[in-house]
Amino acid sequence: MSPSPVKKAYIAIAIAILVIAVIGGYYAYIATRPKYREMLVIGTTDRITTLDPAKAYDFYTWEVFQNIGEGLLKYEPGTLKIVPGLAERYEVSEDGKVYTFYLRKGLKFTDGTPFNATVVKWSIDRQFHLRGDPSWLVTEFVDHVEVVDEYTVKFYLRKPVSYFPALVATVPYFPISPKAWPWDEFKDATVGIGPYKIIRWERDVELRLEANPDYYGPKPKTKYIVVRFYKDAPALRLALETGEIDIAWRTLMPTDYVDFKKMSEKYTVVEAPGPYIRYLVLRCNQPPFNDVRLRRAIAAAVDRWRICSDVFLNTTEPLYSMIPKGMWSHKDVFLDKYGEHNITLARKLLTEAGYSETNKLKIELWYTPAHYGPTEADVAALIKDALEETGMIEVTLRSAEWSTYVDYITKGVMPIFLLGWYPDYVDPDDYTTPFLHSKYCWALGVFYNNSRMDSLLEQAMVAPTTEKRAALYEEVQELMADEAPVIPLFQGRLIVVAKKGVEGIVLDATMIFRYYLLYAVA
Amino acid sequence: MSSLRVYIASRLLTAIPMVLILLTVVFVVLRILPGDPVVAIVGGHAPPEVIETLRRRLGLDKPLHLQYLDYLWKLMRGDLGKSLIWGQRPVIDELMERFPATLELSIFSFIIAVLIGIFTGVKSARNFGKPIDHAIRVYGIVTYALFIPWFGMMLQFIFGVYLRWLPISGRADPFMEPERITGLYVLDSILTLDFPALISALRHLVLPSITLGIYISGIFTRIVRSHMIEVLRMDYIRAARARGIPEGRVVYRHALKNAFVPLLTMMGLQFALLLAGAVLTETTFSWPGMGTYLLERILYRDFPAVQGAIVFIAIIIILINLLVDITYAYLDPRIRLR
Repeated sequence: MSPSPVKKAYIAIAIAILVIAVIGGYYAYIATRPKYREMLVIGTTDRITTLDPAKAYDFYTWEVFQNIGEGLLKYEPGTLKIVPGLAERYEVSEDGKVYTFYLRKGLKFTDGTPFNATVVKWSIDRQFHLRGDPSWLVTEFVDHVEVVDEYTVKFYLRKPVSYFPALVATVPYFPISPKAWPWDEFKDATVGIGPYKIIRWERDVELRLEANPDYYGPKPKTKYIVVRFYKDAPALRLALETGEIDIAWRTLMPTDYVDFKKMSEKYTVVEAPGPYIRYLVLRCNQPPFNDVRLRRAIAAAVDRWRICSDVFLNTTEPLYSMIPKGMWSHKDVFLDKYGEHNITLARKLLTEAGYSETNKLKIELWYTPAHYGPTEADVAALIKDALEETGMIEVTLRSAEWSTYVDYITKGVMPIFLLGWYPDYVDPDDYTTPFLHSKYCWALGVFYNNSRMDSLLEQAMVAPTTEKRAALYEEVQELMADEAPVIPLFQGRLIVVAKKGVEGIVLDATMIFRYYLLYAVA
Repeated sequence: MSSLRVYIASRLLTAIPMVLILLTVVFVVLRILPGDPVVAIVGGHAPPEVIETLRRRLGLDKPLHLQYLDYLWKLMRGDLGKSLIWGQRPVIDELMERFPATLELSIFSFIIAVLIGIFTGVKSARNFGKPIDHAIRVYGIVTYALFIPWFGMMLQFIFGVYLRWLPISGRADPFMEPERITGLYVLDSILTLDFPALISALRHLVLPSITLGIYISGIFTRIVRSHMIEVLRMDYIRAARARGIPEGRVVYRHALKNAFVPLLTMMGLQFALLLAGAVLTETTFSWPGMGTYLLERILYRDFPAVQGAIVFIAIIIILINLLVDITYAYLDPRIRLR
């Protein structure tokens, strides 16, 4: 017997309610499920050295601080534009020696300590007190700091350096919690005020970050970032290929980058010109390289293109000035003066200096085998080849592991050696003064002393406009090429390899990898 | 049993000078190597006065003999010193963070090595002269000649990259570590009834344990084989067979027991060496154990950490060897009466 019309109506209503409930439930689920993946895993062969801004002076640890902390000023991602950070705004006195910062109100560190002018002063004074490795970035420029009121602080400078805002954006200037770090000793602490907070850190194994709910700025799209530390490039590559990590950042082998580019359906390779440079240092205060002709001969003979293509598979590019390409005031001064791999000029200079094929210049070229990656021995070998192609130089390769190498640098043991440079702050001054000013270059084993160079650098530091500074840095570069106390070789590229679907990878000349921009759609 | 006690006491007493000699050699060698640890800590930018202040603070400005005596005095009080680098944490704290990882890997590798070694050794001995015997002998040689990083990477490629069955590095997936009780992830997972953590820990153990286990199993295979061949020829074995005892019991209950005693020494030695940290395996699998710790600290000239780690390892090796000898002496009274 078929159901009555009333019963049919009830059944129809029930079915309709069910359908509406299912559809509604589905849309509710869509609306409330996370839009982005909750966790991204980054793999790296770098290491955190110490989580104390008064002591950390390496690229990777600074990167971590840039993600868990913030300065009074910071760079706008993807640019070299300096924008307000923990300070809403700042003013500069007419003489350029007093910077007044107006701090954001109501902020606190992840341990609950309020952020204010007193904390800013304490953090800077601690740099003066402990004199850790990076403290010179503060002590060379700042005379003292004054608290004006709870949210206003003044920095009094030793000299009116034009790039002081770039310095303020560096980690030694970061305000830190006095509760987390002691006044009179170095200590690892995980407290911050930035977009992420550290929830777990196992040294050399893993760093785990969680989005900081109290951060004043835009919240990261990815709630958790896990950084896993790998021993070497093969392990890092395998981790990416097995899916253990989503992103591989510093450093894969050049061949790995080439391979991943071929797998574009599965991986994204993001590249940008990098601000890190590699160069040769020549010890200028002792034979043989106290003779400028010999320094010029080396500068003429090196073959940068071969290094970039044979060793790095064109993931680096030749560099003809210590100021990297892409930075204002850069000039290809070494190319203009010596050409590239100019054996004829090298031989001429060597002959003038009294050397010949029967009386060769014998030198020891030093390198460190692991610190800059496993390609270093190949770089040294190619430089040896290029120099010996003159027929008038005999090169013995020597190496020392990094701790010993650093020791030898400051003691002037090595007559010619390979070195690298990552910028402390993004300004031509950081690519010139440390290598060329007589007061500082000893720390990099250069031992170069030229009063005209010192004068040019000092003028450029305080020149009031970018145009005036650029003109001075051009003169600095001309003199540097002529004297060749250091010989630029190549400039690195920043390369990130990520699984397809990972977005928000922004690379720029600051080399800061901003985890808080990363996301992947769920 | 008094002879056993005397034996143990005499072995313990001889261990002390052994540790002292080792410590002295390490102390001297570390200090005569080139490279200033203070400069390695502060870097090249630090002014000379900062370097000297740190050198004084770390006691590295004192004469060598005073540094040595100071170190011995601290050691007698159980203080292994503080790491010179990165936060200057007590060395013992750092070692205890790393040691469980090495212990866990050692235990699982050891079990795999022993099981494979005994099975293949017995199989080979029972089939003396036959093709299977030759094949197992080749296995014993090849496994011991394996280059661990290569072998480990091959397993990573096959099981991690191509098959995607197993993870290739670390001890557990992110957020899957068990609550720390002993630091042994498998044990801690069981104790806390955290089964997802247990699965994650076991999955991460598979590849490094197999790599190391297979590498060591070759030694056990050869020892078991050679002793089993000897024992299987003895009269009492022939008599047991003649009485109709099943072959399995003859081999595993009667013959293996006698062949086991010399194997015990090698097992003890190998286990002790595993606990020292299998650097190559740990490096290949990013396993955060003692091996990688020691390697890193050597590169950074972290004297106290290196000395502390070596003392720690020496004591472990001595204790394990002592345990082996005691077990040996317990099993064979003739040993302790010599």
